[in-house]
Amino acid sequence: MATATEVKKRTVRINGCVASAQAAKYADVDVIAAYPIRPYTATMMALAQMVANGELDAEYIVADSEHSQLSISHGASSSGARVFTGSSGVGVQFAYELYSPISGSRMPVQMMIADRTLDPPGDFGSEHTDALSTRDMGWLMGWACDAQEAFDNHLMAYRIGEDPRVLLPQMVCQDGFFVSHITSDVELPDSGQVKEFLPPYKHPYPLDPRHPVSHGPQIMPEQGPPLQLERARAMEGAVAVIEEVHDEFAKIFGRRYDPWVEEYMTDDADVVFFLQGGHAVTARFAIKHMRDNGLKVGMVRLRTIRPYPTDRVNEVLSKFKVVGVIETNMGLGSVSSGGVLYGEVCAALYESQHKPLVLSFMAGMGGEAIVLDEFYWMAKKMTEAQKRGKIEKRTHWVGFEE
Amino acid sequence: MPAIEVERQILPILGSPNQGARFYNPDLPSSEPFVPGHRTCAGCGPSIQYRMTSKAAGDNTILVGPTGCMYVANSSYLCTPYNVPWAHTQIGSAGSFTAGVAAAYEAMIRKGKWKGAFPNIICEAGDGSASDIGLASISGALYRNHDCLIICYDNEQYANTGIQASSRTPYGGMTTFSPPGPMVPEAKTLFPKDLARMMAAGHPHCYVATASVGYPIDLMNKVRKGLNHKGAAYLMIYTPCQKGFVYETPRSIDLGRLVVECGLYPIWEWNPEKREYDYSFRPQNMRPVSEYLKLQGRFGHLHAEHIAKLQTFANQQWKMMGIELPEALIQAADAKNLVNMATASAAEAVAQTL
Repeated sequence: MATATEVKKRTVRINGCVASAQAAKYADVDVIAAYPIRPYTATMMALAQMVANGELDAEYIVADSEHSQLSISHGASSSGARVFTGSSGVGVQFAYELYSPISGSRMPVQMMIADRTLDPPGDFGSEHTDALSTRDMGWLMGWACDAQEAFDNHLMAYRIGEDPRVLLPQMVCQDGFFVSHITSDVELPDSGQVKEFLPPYKHPYPLDPRHPVSHGPQIMPEQGPPLQLERARAMEGAVAVIEEVHDEFAKIFGRRYDPWVEEYMTDDADVVFFLQGGHAVTARFAIKHMRDNGLKVGMVRLRTIRPYPTDRVNEVLSKFKVVGVIETNMGLGSVSSGGVLYGEVCAALYESQHKPLVLSFMAGMGGEAIVLDEFYWMAKKMTEAQKRGKIEKRTHWVGFEE
Repeated sequence: MPAIEVERQILPILGSPNQGARFYNPDLPSSEPFVPGHRTCAGCGPSIQYRMTSKAAGDNTILVGPTGCMYVANSSYLCTPYNVPWAHTQIGSAGSFTAGVAAAYEAMIRKGKWKGAFPNIICEAGDGSASDIGLASISGALYRNHDCLIICYDNEQYANTGIQASSRTPYGGMTTFSPPGPMVPEAKTLFPKDLARMMAAGHPHCYVATASVGYPIDLMNKVRKGLNHKGAAYLMIYTPCQKGFVYETPRSIDLGRLVVECGLYPIWEWNPEKREYDYSFRPQNMRPVSEYLKLQGRFGHLHAEHIAKLQTFANQQWKMMGIELPEALIQAADAKNLVNMATASAAEAVAQTL
């Protein structure tokens, strides 16, 4: 049975997982590839129920692994179907082989990720290492900080990824538990609004017996450079489309997001937190409190990490004296011997005339909540560095130092 | 909007018994979805199979090619020999990618996004993909019963990477991962995975059959039966590889018959309605395994005791099909009655055969 039930705009109280499922339903996806792993599973549970209820007409496939989930998605997207899949933690890693083939064949598969710490040991908590380890595989990637933003990001990601100027897969990420399992009010749009915003998926060269094409033939090394260049250009070309789509989204749905960074109380700030995802909600709260005590602190939240907004990060962060990068990911033996975000921030600032001091904070590791006191402690480290005018210690493991 | 009913194709079965006119049938379709000009070896068994399979399927077909020799040799330098849509997928993604294609067409036709009869969706997986790294993905596709045909073109080794043992490599088969030496005189010590029976036993709702390039009409009919079956179908097809088996190039089809006549490659069908095996296929002759082995360099190191083990294995296969063993084959399973491959008399026998 096909579903074309008109629904009216309404506000519901749901968690991030269900918000993602709702977005997939609004996008009228054709093929869903599921495999259970906490915490993203709840998204697939919600979709299974929608299909069972007849609210969504889609092929719901219970795959035999995450590798198969992504392969199913690859095959379905190659055939011209709109595809939704997802995973968490080690599940994201189990599918690793497929990330490059999917972006290389320019299939706009969408994958929802609710972050989970990688093993060992079996830890359910949110850490961004799972998705970030795939960041250079040619997928558009960004984090939501609450359920509403997750819902909105899914719709925008389909529109961006399926744009013929882009044709790239998308990882739409949210923190496990902090976003995926916390309920909040989410405005679900009119189905007419989504119809207006998101045209049907139409790949220019699907596997269609009437117009035979070959996907993914083997090449020789000398044929490699142009193919890689094309994929790199698609990623660069996505920048303009991302901005366009965010404008269009604001016009139709009335919610305006800066596609690259959210700035919070940064106008006269000396020190800022730089982070991704759900911890931003606590950060805002902490900042408000510190502002009451006269501290000039703010927050810059990265919304899109691939493509990375190098110039924008440079321009925004150059305004401040100290930047404290809150990693929530593991970059063992990396530039800062902490997380991977530090290197991304510093590289963007390299050409700045007004380089801020940059600190890396290893906080929220293993999915532990970053509590208000820890934000205050990190702000203290930043103001101390500001007073000294130099970095004494590049990386701080929050909770292990005085 | 009501769902649109999915129209399925029915392909006619070619009216020829598996004996007699094995190579000629006037009903053969003229379409050639797999065209000449590719870069496979002369006498390549898998590509002979590829042509027969795609010819039987016709033009409303989508091919899926997991990594293997039929990926690399057929699609080098961005050129491919396919007149129908074809996609490469990862070696472990045989069943899953194919399932994605089938699911997409189910949904797109039902939702009015694509109009036409449901295409034939065929996956051509090598035995490395089908018996090892992609086994779970294929099992998943069969279990979920997507309307597709998954073929294991079985050349009994990883040929693309330069001849390594797979779990379909026969006992005694020399590969670069199973070389003979003083400590391992027989080369490969393990007997192959009984892949097709495993698929039939584990997915009894599927049409499952074995075939060989030695019997083209039978092979093409099984392709059509698999495609006509609504749901998943699985074929395991013997496709000799002259590079890995080391034989005279023109003998690919001969090997395709000998392997069956020697009992090393039982030909059968699994009937999903009756839930039983159909063993009615009978080769013209029954021969001792040495007649098959002696044509191939990969078995040139075998001693009498190893050949006897292979004969015992073949005899077990005949028995599994309910076929009475002639005395000669029982005798041939005794090492006393056999000679080593590398003896003068064996070499003479090979010379005579060639």
